[in-house]
Amino acid sequence: MTSDAVTSDAVASDAVASDAATGRARARSTAIRLRPRASVLLGVTSLIGMAAFCWPLVIQGHAGANQAHSADAPWLFVAVLPLLLAVILGEMAEGTLDAKAIALLGILAACGAALRIPSPGVAGFEPVFFLLIPSGRVFGRGFGFVLGAVTIAASALITGGIGPWLPFQMFGAAWMGFGAGCLPPLRGRAELAMLAGYAAVSAILYGTLLNLWFWPFGAGTTTSFSYSPGAGALANLHSFVFFDLTTSLGFDISRAVTNAVLVLLLGRPVMAALRRASRRAAFDAPVVYH
Amino acid sequence: MIRFSDVSFTYDGADHPTLSHVDLSIDEGELCLVVGQTGSGKTTLLRAINGLVPHFTGGHLGGEVRVGGRSTRDFPPRELADLVGVVGQNPATSFVTDTVEDELAYTMENLGIAPDAMRRRVEDTLDLLGLHELRNRPLTALSGGQQQRVAIGAVLSASPRVLVLDEPTSALDPAAAEEVLASLTRLVHDVGMTVVLAEHRLERVIPFADRVVLVPGDGAPLVVGSTADIMATSPVAPPLVELARLAGWSPVPLSVRDARRLAGPLRQRLAGAPLPGTSAAVGGAVVGADATPVVRVARASVHYGPVVALDHASVELGAGEVVALMGRNGSGKSTLLAQLAGLRSPSEGRVTVAGKPPTDLPARKLITVVGLVPQDAGALLYGETVADECSTADRETGLDPGTTASMLDEVLPGMPQNRHPRDLSEGQRLALALAIVLAPGPSVVLLDEPTRGLDYPSKERLVMVLRKLAADGDCVLVATHDVELAAQVATRVVVLAEGEVVADGPARDVVCHSPVFAPQVAKVLAPEPWLTVDEVRVALGGRRRDQ
Repeated sequence: MTSDAVTSDAVASDAVASDAATGRARARSTAIRLRPRASVLLGVTSLIGMAAFCWPLVIQGHAGANQAHSADAPWLFVAVLPLLLAVILGEMAEGTLDAKAIALLGILAACGAALRIPSPGVAGFEPVFFLLIPSGRVFGRGFGFVLGAVTIAASALITGGIGPWLPFQMFGAAWMGFGAGCLPPLRGRAELAMLAGYAAVSAILYGTLLNLWFWPFGAGTTTSFSYSPGAGALANLHSFVFFDLTTSLGFDISRAVTNAVLVLLLGRPVMAALRRASRRAAFDAPVVYH
Repeated sequence: MIRFSDVSFTYDGADHPTLSHVDLSIDEGELCLVVGQTGSGKTTLLRAINGLVPHFTGGHLGGEVRVGGRSTRDFPPRELADLVGVVGQNPATSFVTDTVEDELAYTMENLGIAPDAMRRRVEDTLDLLGLHELRNRPLTALSGGQQQRVAIGAVLSASPRVLVLDEPTSALDPAAAEEVLASLTRLVHDVGMTVVLAEHRLERVIPFADRVVLVPGDGAPLVVGSTADIMATSPVAPPLVELARLAGWSPVPLSVRDARRLAGPLRQRLAGAPLPGTSAAVGGAVVGADATPVVRVARASVHYGPVVALDHASVELGAGEVVALMGRNGSGKSTLLAQLAGLRSPSEGRVTVAGKPPTDLPARKLITVVGLVPQDAGALLYGETVADECSTADRETGLDPGTTASMLDEVLPGMPQNRHPRDLSEGQRLALALAIVLAPGPSVVLLDEPTRGLDYPSKERLVMVLRKLAADGDCVLVATHDVELAAQVATRVVVLAEGEVVADGPARDVVCHSPVFAPQVAKVLAPEPWLTVDEVRVALGGRRRDQ
């Protein structure tokens, strides 16, 4: 019971002490720093990824040509998307990914993947996204992006969810984590409310985007809400909204609500734990020799 | 082997350097002991050896650390892994795999060593550390000492030339600690390994050290010298050294054997001196022989399946007593505490606290009668800050707001209120748990192994707190392996073996003539029955240091 301040784990605690000296813990640290090249690459791949999701709404005219490729075009994206993910993850790992970030990534991705086991998606209970949002918030957008992709990949391995949809899910979750890392620096109740709102909105967006990918296959070509290659963007958007509403919006909304409720209930303790981990790992402390 | 050239280190955001202009050279095959108070920078110094400082922690490092010719400036920790092995305080946190063999092989797998070489080295390591009988055991089934030896084995299998250990025995009981230290001395003497060791429990390690590095803290220059020289002036010192300073022995003896050979004249001087009544009577507590016992354990037995944890044990504890409960691991100490704390009722016999079986009391009432500080004090703590912890305790126990906080201020003034409980030092964590337990004002206070991981000042503080509790008429029961603590604070010692009470009597009678439970002072001065340095100081006409 010494009155002097520092702990038995003196290294970590000295770092803590220094944090205490500089004021409260930061809202956000940067576990994976995005260098300019990685940022540009992230932008480009995200654009292509977006195209992979949205092509049915964007591509116009030439009904015949579109029709001819309506079977193989989606598969092109299925093939390209994993490569894009590999490129961006590789670039982000290049030189900036240290042992501490890898350890955290591994633990959080494993926890996220484990969360998916008891949640087959019944009534929208999919806590796999819940961990992603506080993590992106605390460790920054680069970390959120990688964690989203890795969590989904790991959980697919466990649940046997590997298929052409996997890269799309990975991209979706990666954006969700990235977005969580971009939110404004509020603290306290406002932060929790913001995160809960973000959890709900992002869950609906995620569901809609994946529907959009699935739509050309899932709805066939004959129903009134099928993708029709020659019909024009507006007509297609109309049928897609109809498709979305009838097939899965109920599910998406209940998932959005569970996500938001989970964040409200567990967000504070989870973020406190993550912030403490981030403080002790001292991600933002530069290594300087002089 | 290891060379620090003008090394300074400042943590990111800290005002003062933790290390400042350190010049230090440690030769091959040396066992170098690093001592200093909690927070003085011992760990920083150790971690600078394999580059964790600054590569892992961040911060500003000046000068250069070279190990085996490699500078930590150019080689990150992973490229020093084949040269420097690091073992921490809690082996369980470093384990990656499930069984002993796998854990030993894991490091080598990461270093990309060929399978047949790996196989051979696993065998070598098993033999070197005497682990061959445990090779297929799950790591979780090992004792603390065995776990720590496996952790050492896991870094040894990479065949490093330097071993860095940060308080490897402070969380272990004495027997386990000896196991680990015996393994270390074997590595130094038979293999020629260079070992750098930080440790709180100096009485355990100083006989083995070649040299001592004293880290005074606050960036003051290190003091390096032979063990005896440093011990003569060190602010942290084991009882043996304190006794030597008191008696003016030079050079300072480092083992009980050396001290005994010098102690003849002192024993003669003390032969006629009056003994204090009991060791704690000096501290102010008075035990009335006629006092009605607060705690009665009458022929209580506890069975865990086929295991008999407590076997017709009978003990009575009175108000104002500090009783040390001793015995080897698994002898029933924790079971007895659990009985008194009302966590379990006995299979046979009767346990009463203040006249009632504690299991009959509702929780709110129970905490005002008996309080238990568990072995891992952190188990009581789940708040986010110290202040938060105190206010939660007040709320949940129905006390006036601020009661726990003021109790904490009494136990240990100046606690950092905004610190996370897990970021506290062992001593601070114990103080917080103790404050939470004491706040409702229990008349019986139970502590399970409170001195694990505590440094000397923290232990002094604990002794003062316990003496004060006894002086206020509380009944204190401490289950401990720490013979020095028992000698300092206990009025009575109860020894358990195989669930039975094998000894129960005044501390001096029980511990003095036992080779296992005798404190260092008693071993040196036997057959004169002195227990602590303070008693000897008083007998020689000096003043007690803590008064």
